[in-house]
Amino acid sequence: MNTGLDVGSTTAKIVRLESGIITASKVVPSHRWKELLEYGNKWDTVETIATVETTEAIQTPEATEIIQATETTETTGTAETIVSTGYFRKTVPHTAAITEITAASLGVRYYIPDAQVIVDVGGQDTKVIDLRNNTFLINDKCSAGTGAFLELAAHYFDIPVESLGKLHTRASRCARINNTCGVFAISEMISQLVGGYTMEEVICGIHQAFARRIAQMIPPVETVVLIGGTVLNQGLVESFESIHGSTVVVPPSPQTVNALGAALYGKKLRPEQ
Amino acid sequence: MTDTVGITALIPPELVYACRHRPLDVNNVVPTSSINPRSKLCAWTAVWRDEIMEGRMDIDSLVVVAGGDCHNALVDGQKVALSGVPTHYFFYPFDRDPDYMASQLKGLARFLGGIKDKEMFRTISGLKEKGLALDQLRVDDRARASDVFSALISFGDLQGDPAAFEEVLDTIPHTDVEYSSRVALIGVPPIYPDFHEVAESFGLHVVYDELPYEFVRLGGNDMQALAGSYRNYSFSGPITGRIEMIRQELDRRRVDGVIHYTQFACHHTLEDEIFRAHLDYPVLTVQGDLPRPSSEQLKLRLEAFSEMLEVMP
Repeated sequence: MNTGLDVGSTTAKIVRLESGIITASKVVPSHRWKELLEYGNKWDTVETIATVETTEAIQTPEATEIIQATETTETTGTAETIVSTGYFRKTVPHTAAITEITAASLGVRYYIPDAQVIVDVGGQDTKVIDLRNNTFLINDKCSAGTGAFLELAAHYFDIPVESLGKLHTRASRCARINNTCGVFAISEMISQLVGGYTMEEVICGIHQAFARRIAQMIPPVETVVLIGGTVLNQGLVESFESIHGSTVVVPPSPQTVNALGAALYGKKLRPEQ
Repeated sequence: MTDTVGITALIPPELVYACRHRPLDVNNVVPTSSINPRSKLCAWTAVWRDEIMEGRMDIDSLVVVAGGDCHNALVDGQKVALSGVPTHYFFYPFDRDPDYMASQLKGLARFLGGIKDKEMFRTISGLKEKGLALDQLRVDDRARASDVFSALISFGDLQGDPAAFEEVLDTIPHTDVEYSSRVALIGVPPIYPDFHEVAESFGLHVVYDELPYEFVRLGGNDMQALAGSYRNYSFSGPITGRIEMIRQELDRRRVDGVIHYTQFACHHTLEDEIFRAHLDYPVLTVQGDLPRPSSEQLKLRLEAFSEMLEVMP
């Protein structure tokens, strides 16, 4: 069995593969990543994490606890390969660790074998991966164009970030938000509210500003694959589609694609599984 | 009397030695400097400027390469000049005109008091031969890139003492290198002091350092030869010539990918799109600002690039 564990800045995700088929997946907040392994073990009660390397890198108190807990699980002798990815990839139990770039490339190709450009909108950064020439860009110096930008907007309105997409659909027009700096965009949001725009219309404007920021990072291409938890926001996806002009494809479960890619990497390491 | 002459970018160090002075590449102190510059665009120039103006760097005069390489140096160099340091401005010809190059070298020799020891031209030519051999050694996987980079970058001033520097070159270990991918490092040198070591830790063997290679590639045994050689300094002319040169080296050194280092607020950053369009290799662009050990963001990029070169079809 191959497990992909993606512990990112905001959320932690797990995907389990058996004979190339996804048999389990789950998403929890990052700080609760341990639950994912417990969840996986309950889901597949006869497996164990026998192959986890107890390297220095994973000897955090949490990691040690998980390893000890799973070593006592009833086993059938079937080894599990855990490949970790995400910001915390080297501090959680893993057989191997890969970067999110490689994980995204492998995960997206599972669903879309001829994918050309992937945009992974994460909580703290955005990555653009051009599979045509194996290049990538990462924006991690500015919150605009990352999930943190939307968190700021949601925080201002005191609403859950998950509700932004639904509120966007209620807007009859979009307020223009020009600023590409997340912090200054809040000032501009306030100005637009003062100017008579509704919350929904300002949210629509925020999504468009977000989409413009991401679009600047993307090379010319006909089809873009969007992944990451942020693309569950339909308002953002629609804004991106209208601004970038490319065809946008969102694979099933866009939030767990990197965990899937990590699991697929494990399959590369141990093809017999 | 031998003076220490600060130099802000590549000028022929053989000429400084031939004038019986000691060059000091002011950039070499930057990666390990603790200075937080008061005002800056590019940290490379701002840090050496403050190092000099705060009296931390012991130089008697300064040669500012103000045309054809680093544009920010022109202003920061003048700030140093206004603080009382005798300063000379050196310009490369964009059109590679040999007469203009010769006139610039003559002007520099005048500023340095005239040529007094022509034998230094030959001495340093010999050392550059050793530098080229060392460069080839890492191309042949028989020397660590971090060791070779340290040596090549020092050819800007030969560490102030050619004889002692030769001994340093002779101690560089010849060792078989294992790696996952061969990469070229183009652009200005990284401001991170541990860049090559970090790249090595991710299996990336840097087989071409664009700028330091210029330090050993260019030279000559007299003023005319120097002018004929240094007018071809790749950073100083049209980018088409630089692209041609890089392509040649990428092919000769059998690289798998290219890392383009860019410095925040350096005009060379604008060249990134051109390289991406004209080099038929995977390109990773990284950017640095203040001198610090390699950041986690940089490490992520290097690790991901290494994986992409190794794992992806």
